[in-house]
Parts: sequence; C-alpha cells; structure tokens
Amino acid sequence: MNQEINHEHRHEEGEGDRACLSRRRFLLFGVAGATLVALDSVPGLTRLAQAMVASYPSQKVGSLSALKAGEPLEFAYPYPDVHNVLVKLGAPAGGGVGPAKDIVAFNQMCTHMGGPLVGTYKGNHQVMGPCPLHLTTFDLTRHGMVVSGHATESLPQIVLEVKGDDIHATGVMGLVFGYADNTGGHA
Amino acid sequence: MSKLWTPKATPKLPEPVKAEGRVPLPPADADVFTTACDYCTIACGYKVYRWPVGKEGGPKAGENAMKTDFPHQTMMGVWASPAQHTVVSHEGKPHHVIVVPDKDATVVNPGGNHSIRGGTLAQKCFNPETRTRERLQNPMIRVNGKLQKVSWDLVTDVMADISQHVIAKHGEHAWAIKMYSYQYFENTYAITRLGMTSIGTPSIAPHDKCANTNDATGLDDAGIDSFGASYQDWGDCEVAFMSGVDPYETKTTLFTSWMMPGEKKMIFVTPHRTMGVAWALAQGRGLWLPIIPGTDTVLHNAMARIIIENNWQDQEFIDKWIANQWEVDQGYGRGTRNTGWQWRTTWGNWQSDWKDYSKWIMEQEEAKLENAAKITGLKAEDIQKAAEWIAKPVNGKAPKTSFMLEKGNYWTNNYMNTTSFVSLGLICGAGNRAGRVISRGGGHQRGMMGAGGGSGWLNPEKYPGRRKKDFNLDRWVMDGQVKFAWVFGTTWIAAMMGSQTLATKMLEMTRGSKHQIDSLDRKAIFETLKKRVDEGGMVLVDSDIYPVEPINTDIADIVLPAATWGEDNFTRCNSERRLRLYSKFYDAPGEAKPDWWAVQQFAKKMGFEGYDWKDSNDIFEEAARFGRGGVLNYHPLVMEAKKKGVKAQEMLRAMGTTGIQTPIRVRDGKLVGTLRLHDPDNNWGEMEQAEVQNAFMYAFNTHSGKAILLKSPWGFKGWSQFYQAIQPRAEKNELWVTNGRVGETWQSAFDDMRKAHLNQRWPWPPIFIHPDDAKSRGIESGDLVKVHNDTVYVQTGQPQGVKDPDLFFDNLMKDGHIQTTEGFFTSVAIVSDEMRPGVAMASFNFPGAPANAVVHAVPDPVTNNYRYKLGRGTLTKVGESPFKNNFTAMSLKPRPIA
Repeated sequence: MNQEINHEHRHEEGEGDRACLSRRRFLLFGVAGATLVALDSVPGLTRLAQAMVASYPSQKVGSLSALKAGEPLEFAYPYPDVHNVLVKLGAPAGGGVGPAKDIVAFNQMCTHMGGPLVGTYKGNHQVMGPCPLHLTTFDLTRHGMVVSGHATESLPQIVLEVKGDDIHATGVMGLVFGYADNTGGHA
Repeated sequence: MSKLWTPKATPKLPEPVKAEGRVPLPPADADVFTTACDYCTIACGYKVYRWPVGKEGGPKAGENAMKTDFPHQTMMGVWASPAQHTVVSHEGKPHHVIVVPDKDATVVNPGGNHSIRGGTLAQKCFNPETRTRERLQNPMIRVNGKLQKVSWDLVTDVMADISQHVIAKHGEHAWAIKMYSYQYFENTYAITRLGMTSIGTPSIAPHDKCANTNDATGLDDAGIDSFGASYQDWGDCEVAFMSGVDPYETKTTLFTSWMMPGEKKMIFVTPHRTMGVAWALAQGRGLWLPIIPGTDTVLHNAMARIIIENNWQDQEFIDKWIANQWEVDQGYGRGTRNTGWQWRTTWGNWQSDWKDYSKWIMEQEEAKLENAAKITGLKAEDIQKAAEWIAKPVNGKAPKTSFMLEKGNYWTNNYMNTTSFVSLGLICGAGNRAGRVISRGGGHQRGMMGAGGGSGWLNPEKYPGRRKKDFNLDRWVMDGQVKFAWVFGTTWIAAMMGSQTLATKMLEMTRGSKHQIDSLDRKAIFETLKKRVDEGGMVLVDSDIYPVEPINTDIADIVLPAATWGEDNFTRCNSERRLRLYSKFYDAPGEAKPDWWAVQQFAKKMGFEGYDWKDSNDIFEEAARFGRGGVLNYHPLVMEAKKKGVKAQEMLRAMGTTGIQTPIRVRDGKLVGTLRLHDPDNNWGEMEQAEVQNAFMYAFNTHSGKAILLKSPWGFKGWSQFYQAIQPRAEKNELWVTNGRVGETWQSAFDDMRKAHLNQRWPWPPIFIHPDDAKSRGIESGDLVKVHNDTVYVQTGQPQGVKDPDLFFDNLMKDGHIQTTEGFFTSVAIVSDEMRPGVAMASFNFPGAPANAVVHAVPDPVTNNYRYKLGRGTLTKVGESPFKNNFTAMSLKPRPIA
C-alpha cells in the first residue's frame, strides 16, 4: 500500500478552505460564459466540447512566445487548488492550440486515486505519467486517454483558446479528481 | 472443407465520449451494499450506493453517504469518478448507483485500491442510455434464420423435446455442455448438477479448454494446490520469480497493493516487457528474461543446475519435505490407479527424489549455462543472476523467494514447464510457508462448485495403458458427434485453438443443415430439429448476456438471456480462496434470468428431481456439502447459519468485503478461515463440528504428505516433435504470434466495448511488434496488420494410446490424426521495443480478431491441455486503421513507459 505518501497539495481545512470558496464564487459568477469558438477547428474536440454544460471563467495561463516545447508550465484553474500543466508537445494533439496545434493543458491529479502527476511528463512520447502510486500513463495527444493503467477516466483536459500571443484557459473537460462537480456544489 | 469462417466486425472509430464534469453524490440515507469485482482473479472489494432518481446528496460530509466533504484534493481520498456512476432499475423504478472500491477494505484491496476494469463496474450495469442496451433481454428461437422473441415456457419445452430425443437415440455423449467454470457457485452447481448428475454426459468442457484437464499440471503432480497462497505471501517474499505473467497487467491490486511496496526483487520471464516489468527495471529491482516462447523448461533446469552446483539449495527443507523414492512409490505410486495422473507419475521419466534429481540435472546437456542461453535466447549472465537472486544465501540465509506462474508458462508447454518450475521452487525451499510459496497467479475467480457424478469414463480416448483421459469436447464436435450443446457464458470458439476451423464446422452442423426452424409451433420445431440431429446436424443453445459473434449471432438456434453480477445474490472465491457475497442491487433487464434458474426450468421439463430451489441461497446451501473435501469448503458456514436460523448467504453478507478464506473450519465454536494451504501450522488434529481433517491443509497433497520432485527432460519426444513442427518458418518470414491480455481489457471485452472510455482506449485489439520486425515488413503503429498462419495443425479423431509414442506428434501425423488447416486475423499494429524481436503479441480473445485462429489445436499428449501461446504467422500490412491519424480513439503509444 502507498497510503503513506502525502500529497503536497493536500486540501487544508479552515481558513484556506473559505478562501478557496470565495475565489470559486468569484470565478463562477463573476466571469461567466467561456467561449468554445476556437475549438471548431479541431473536429474530435468540437463534438466532445459540445457536451460541456458548465460555464467556466477565462484565465490567461501562458503565452505562445514564452512557451517552449517539452517544458511544462504549471498553473491553477479554475480554482487555486486545482493544479494543471500547460505543455507544448511538439506534435499535434486533440484540443491543441497554437500554429502547430500542439499546445495542450491537463489537470495533474491522477484520475485513478489522486496521485500527483507533477513532473512526470515524458516529452519523447507526449505522455503524462506514470503516476507514482499505481503507474497510470495518459496520452496527451488524445485528450488525456489512458495509455496503460487504472484511471477510470481520461485526464481532465483544460480547454485552451489563443488570443493574440496569450493562451487562455476557458473550460475543463472531465471531472477533476476529488470534485463531485467542476463548477459548483462545494461543501 | 467449406470456406473458413471470418468475423464480420471491422475496425471503426467509436462515438465520441461525453466528458462529464460532475457526478451525483449519494444522499446520506442511500442504500449501501458490499460486493466484489466481477472480473479478474484478485476480486477487489466494492461498495454500491443506491438511491432513487430525483434525489441527490450534498457536498458536505453530513449530506452524503460517502461521508466526505467535496471538493477535496486529498490524495487517495474518497471519490467517485463519472465512470463509477450509472442509473439502473430497482423494483421497476430508476435509481442512481455509485459502484466504488471499498475504502474500508482491509484485505485484497486495502484503502480502496482498484484496477481500471473493476473501477468501471458501474458501466457494466444495464442502462438503456448506454451501450448496455445491447443486453439480451428475451429468450429467442431462430426462425427462418432470424432470432425471434419467445417465452421461457416455449423455449424450455423445445429444449426438453429435442434433448429427450438426442439422449434416447444418440446417447448422453451426444448431449453437451460448454460452460464457464467461474461465474458463481450457484450457477456452476446448477449446471453441473444437470450435466453430470441428472443427464450423466461426459461431454462437458470448461470455458478455457476443450477438456476438463489440470491447468498447472506439474504443481498438482508435485502435491501443490495451484491456489494455496495468500496475497500476504506475495507481499512477504523478498524475491518473486514470475513465469509467463506480469501481475500488474492481469492481477492489478495484487501487484500494486501487495508487491510494489518495499524492496522486493522481481524476475519476469516473458517475451513482453509490460508495465510491471518496465517499472521494476526502472526501480533497479527488476530482471527481465525475454524468453523464446516454449523454452521455459530449459531455463528452469539451467537455474536448478546453477543452484545445485553452488550448493544454494535449501537442504533442510528438502530433507524434511521432499519425498524419497520409497515415499513416491508407496501404494499405487502417487497417482490414482487407472488415470493419466498415474501414467505421468510412475517412477521413470518424471518422478524423482532429491538424490536422483540432483544427479539427473547435472547430466542434462541443455541445462549447462551456455547451452541454455542458446536455446532460451537469454543472456547467460541473466540466467546466472536469476539463479543467484532466487537462491544464493544472503548473510548465510536463503532469500525468501516465491514462485508465480500463469499461462505464458503452462500454456506453452503444459507439463514440462510446470514440472520444471515446481522443482525449481521446491529446491529453493518454497511451497508451504509464509512468503515462500509456489502458486498460480490466477486468471478468473474460483467459482466452480461441481455437483459430482462425472462420467469421464465414457470417454473413448485413453492414455497409454488404457488409462482414463478427460473428454475432449472440441474434438467430439469436430467429429460430428455432438447433437445438442448448451453453452453458458463463453465465446467457446474464439477462446479455443484453430478457432476458425471450429467455427466453420459448427456453422456447417447448424446453419449448414437443410433442417431449419420455420415456425413457432412446438411440434413442428421438434420435427425439424429431430431431422437435423438424425442427419448429422447439431442444435445449439447459448445462454449469455450479450450478442457474441458467431456463437449466438450466427450459430445458436436458441438464445437465452442471462442475469449476471448485481442482478442476483451470488457467491464465489478469489485466488486466495476468499469467499464473499456478490450482492444483488438492481433488476436484471427484460426477462433475463440467472443461469441456475434457466437450468431449473429445463430440468423440470425433463422430469428431473431435486431442482426445487426458491432462490440462489437454496443452491448455495445445497452445494456446500459437495465442496466439503476440497479447498473451497464453506460447509461449516452453512452449518453455523442453520444453527442460527439465518440464510447462509446472509451470514456471508455480514462479513462484507472481508468474507472468509476457505477451507473454513471451526475452532472454539467460531468460523476460522485458512491463510495458506500445506502449512504445518494448520494441523489442528481432531476437528470440531462435522468436519474432517484434510491432510492437504498441513502437508503436501501426496500420499506421503511430502512434495515430489519432478524431472523434465527437454528431449522428451511428446514435446520436441510438436515444438519442431510449429516453429515460425524462416522461409515464409513468419514470427511467433503469441497472445495475452492488456490490463485495460477483461476477457473477450464483452463489457469493455460497452464502457465508453474503455471502448475509446481499445476499439480494436492491438498486436505489439518489435521495431525491427515492423520495419522489414513496412509496418507502422496504427497500421492494420493481417496475421496469417497457412499451416495450423488440428488433431482429429479419438486416437488410442497403446504405446507412449502413439500420441506424439509424428505418429499422429503418420496415422492421419492431424488435419492441416489455416487461420488469420487482423489487428492494429503498435510498434514498440517492449517485444522480444521475432515475437509479436496479439490480444487473445477480442471480438473481430480471434488470435487463437493461428494457434495449433494439438494437445500436450501428457496432460491433454493445449499450447495456446505458441501461434505463428506472417504479418502483412493491409492498410491504415481509422485510429492511425485521429485524436479521439486508441492511443498508439507504447504502454510500458516507466
């Protein structure tokens, strides 16, 4: 068993929790209505994205000029405790943005049992993982599909949009580990 | 022979998956059930939360039945993924269910660990909004070629009419059953009671082989039960020698919960570097032996030789626990008189003792390190290292080594791979103590509770010396001897060797007959089927939960809808003999009924007595006494339940996901489970209650209670002639085409292809090919590859063994008992250096691509079991699959990325 490993982003109770809550409220009700226009250029994703019913905020998470292939950039979205990674794969991908359609973003909590995927990106295969807990790997060119292992869902993909040189996060496809609802229903 | 049957399914892009952003939470008052996974042998514990649609729990711990605050970001915290939710019918009303691994589990999957297979169990439940809508929901009869819905009453009348005719006119041999051996005690007891006790036919075969043979035969002959170990033992060993298996792929939580933690060294003997292998190598505690298929015996003998040369054997254990010649030969020898077992174990070729074995091994040319390296294709230093790891004393103490084997071992050379394996384990002191076990890893769960009364003696085939041999059902079909067959929950054809040839024959005998049902009139149906069976045809009934190509889509005359996991209360054991209740929590679809119920209706129509069960608990209680002498004995639990006036299944329910390990015994009035078999600590002397002391509990399962060392001569012609004949042929540019299962798929993918995410992951089965083999054939990842073996050998007839060589390959060929046919299938290539060059691996039983089509149907003459993993064929690119250049389905990345 691996229960002894503690997550560095363990959700704290008390003051911090309330801070998260207010931030969520701000994001959800203050900046509603993400656009999915950019997705139309990616056939597979368009159909997937149509299933999205939630409204997410738009948030700048990086820029085309600063992002280097194979060097992941971490960011929080849509809440401060939800940790994701922005990565230029160097190969076209489902939901990829930028001139080469190779910039994608994914949540970093394993959808098997919440293991930390931070630092596990494998640039030679465009794969995230293996998760240190039970070794699941995810294909970032195919919407975070499980390559091998035990997650029961694909890795949640952060929907991206390019505005000029800026890369914006505008939604989440797939339920983030530890959440019952990506956009509401918080304790 | 007519044109070979070919599957109709073709590779297609699946519908896109809806990416859910929420999952409903169970309200605090939701109903909670415990169950265990329906799939692999490990059988993780699960909880089911059920509540009516229209209600939902809140995110605060006090507002939901999972007693957890959402959201959280706690690693390994309580969570339900959208794939763990569905909507089912309960008492006719829609209900939400969440099926999640049991966080409170303390055994099997502590803390709620799970695999992707069990983790998506909710998606298996019938819900008309998902592809589970394809479930069979009504009994059907094929009228004018098309399946028509009929009543259970009519269908069982029709079955009884033709069965009575077949048994009266053609004999009970002609009435056959092909059945799963695992899908719960209640069903297997009912089915075997019908076939073996009431009808008394010898024509019964389990799902995974043509005859009811041993699996790891060498273990049985050495006196070791294949499922004697506990998961704790795999956790406690310091070195694990794993032959033909990577438990990460196929026994997930055994590996991830019990074997990964700590510093255990792991040796994997397999031509495929799967994820568990890659991970152990990356951790610096793995050793990968990418063996040439079929040569494991030589590896085992070479390792044994190194150990004996260096005096690393566990002499104390050997002196105490290994039988000497007198102990081997006492009485009738080890094997029961007049059986293949006796034939195998007569002193000579195989049986030995320490003195004889250690001398013999030094005399074997192939066991010399340099020769062994050449034959196995392994590096001499790796063989040496493996021998050191498993046996070289550390600080004067032998390492605690356990030995696991699975189908890569016993389905390439059934007898010799298992005899050489068990001998290697025994000289290292393994077999009956904590952390030092010899055992199968297991495939499916242990759900067979036979009703007894088998008629194997009616089999016309015999071992040399006219010793009894298990009845080979496939060959009986191929010979046209089966007139009526009832299939329970198995693909039959795709799971067997030379599968296209078998399918073709079965189609000939059913659809090929001119006598086809053309009305729903009971008498007319009987007249038609009577003519068919009297003129060489066959009637086939298939009980299943889904349409399966071709057994019920094309071949069956009658299709019966089965109720399954979650749709009735069922029981069975896992691979550490842990017995649990698999709770009913929702309504079976339509008129689907559990197989025991279908058997009951039919048996009553046949006029058989003793089928008066009211529910599955009645069968569970009745079956208990038939398992009393065996390793799955739960009789004391039933006795205790009767004493307390409760149903035995309800008593088991109270034990939740922990259950109890069989054999169950009673001590100080309490039920006590059994951690491991053969362990001297189990010797309790006089037993309480009605139980008797079984010697296999505390000693090896032999006359003397000591284990038997078995020799495995590589030159044995019963093996070498076949192995020579089935080598990949260089002049044809063939490769070994072995087969197995990836972790994301269970069995024939019957549920996986209806689970949205898993169907996206594997919409079509892969074939893994080494880059060197792919390049020379112009194959890239994502290409469609046709695998073709133009010379598939199929043994025919009922050859009698008078002298040993009569059943060896060359003589069978000479005597006209080998038919030469062909086989082919089409897979999607994944080019990766995870394969040993010269060996490709396909999915073993995936719809549309039956990899067993290129495997030879010639059994091991010693054991009657088959060599499923030794296919061969040419690999030719036939185009690009729809998955090669798309972003939504079938990742083509290498799987072992560590």
